[in-house]
Amino acid sequence: MPLKGKLTLVTGSGRGIGRAIALKLASQGSDIIVNFFRRREAAEKTAKDIEALGVKAEVIRANVGDPAKLDEMFDTIATKFGHLDILINNAASGVGRSVLDVDIKAWDWTMNINARAFLLCAQRAAKLMEGRGGKMVSITSLGSSFVLPTYAVVGISKAALEALTRYLAIELAPKGICVNAVAASAVETEALKFYIREGLMKDIRQATPAGRMVIPEDVANVVAFLCSEEAFMIRGQTIIVDGGTSVALFMAAGKEER
Amino acid sequence: MSVEEEIKEIVAGIVHVDKSILTREGSLRKDIKADSLDIVQALVAVEDKFDIEIPDEEAQKFQNFGDFVDYVERRVAEKEKV
Repeated sequence: MPLKGKLTLVTGSGRGIGRAIALKLASQGSDIIVNFFRRREAAEKTAKDIEALGVKAEVIRANVGDPAKLDEMFDTIATKFGHLDILINNAASGVGRSVLDVDIKAWDWTMNINARAFLLCAQRAAKLMEGRGGKMVSITSLGSSFVLPTYAVVGISKAALEALTRYLAIELAPKGICVNAVAASAVETEALKFYIREGLMKDIRQATPAGRMVIPEDVANVVAFLCSEEAFMIRGQTIIVDGGTSVALFMAAGKEER
Repeated sequence: MSVEEEIKEIVAGIVHVDKSILTREGSLRKDIKADSLDIVQALVAVEDKFDIEIPDEEAQKFQNFGDFVDYVERRVAEKEKV
């Protein structure tokens, strides 16, 4: 139980990647604060499954894109627990549009939830980690470095998130806080199934050298490693979890020649 | 102000239209050209205003603005009973 006695906040942990991370860290002994925004039922289910692992779970509703709600969440954590050991910045949203169709509203919505929220969460979390060290891990995506269809504003927000990860890693290093990010390719979640058609899922599966799509637990495993003491010297990095997709860009095109 | 009037204010503010064009029979998408982000923001703002939750599955069933108002009114009444 490497995380026994620790307290972790996982933003957006009702479903998908956040839920998998919450369960993974709970299985390592950490108590978990399950943050959600729109689906209480899913968050309650995650909390129940966490408690079944023998640790404590607390559910807090907050739109992390809204600074006032985010502050309320941290006020609750400060009052109820007085500290925090691990912050997982996972909550994300976005508007699927081409660059020329991105308006100010879509930009602000996406940037505020995906990038600004980490800035504000990290500022509050750092205070709760004062004198005890801590870990912060952000969940990002390949869209920060590569161009994906209609992913412009999300990709840009994830690039900002990764840059913020580097700056925070250096600024918080003297406080004993490790800050890193995990970038996944398309992860097989309910949300992804909602957004893309099955044909494209099949293409992604076939284009992944590891032979299958990334699943939430793949991401959770790397997050758990970054939260462990073994990862102490990894700072400000974005670790890619994509089954080899990003380093095999032209492999699919040359398939018939092999 | 009635629940319906309050929702009209919220939606009109988000979509930047005059609230007089919002009718119970009108569709947010077709008639006032609200996009998916407008609708999410409207749902969130209404949830915050009335301290209720509107699951996406329920929101997807709304055929027009009137359905949206009726749902919120029901939830608000349920909340008041408790």
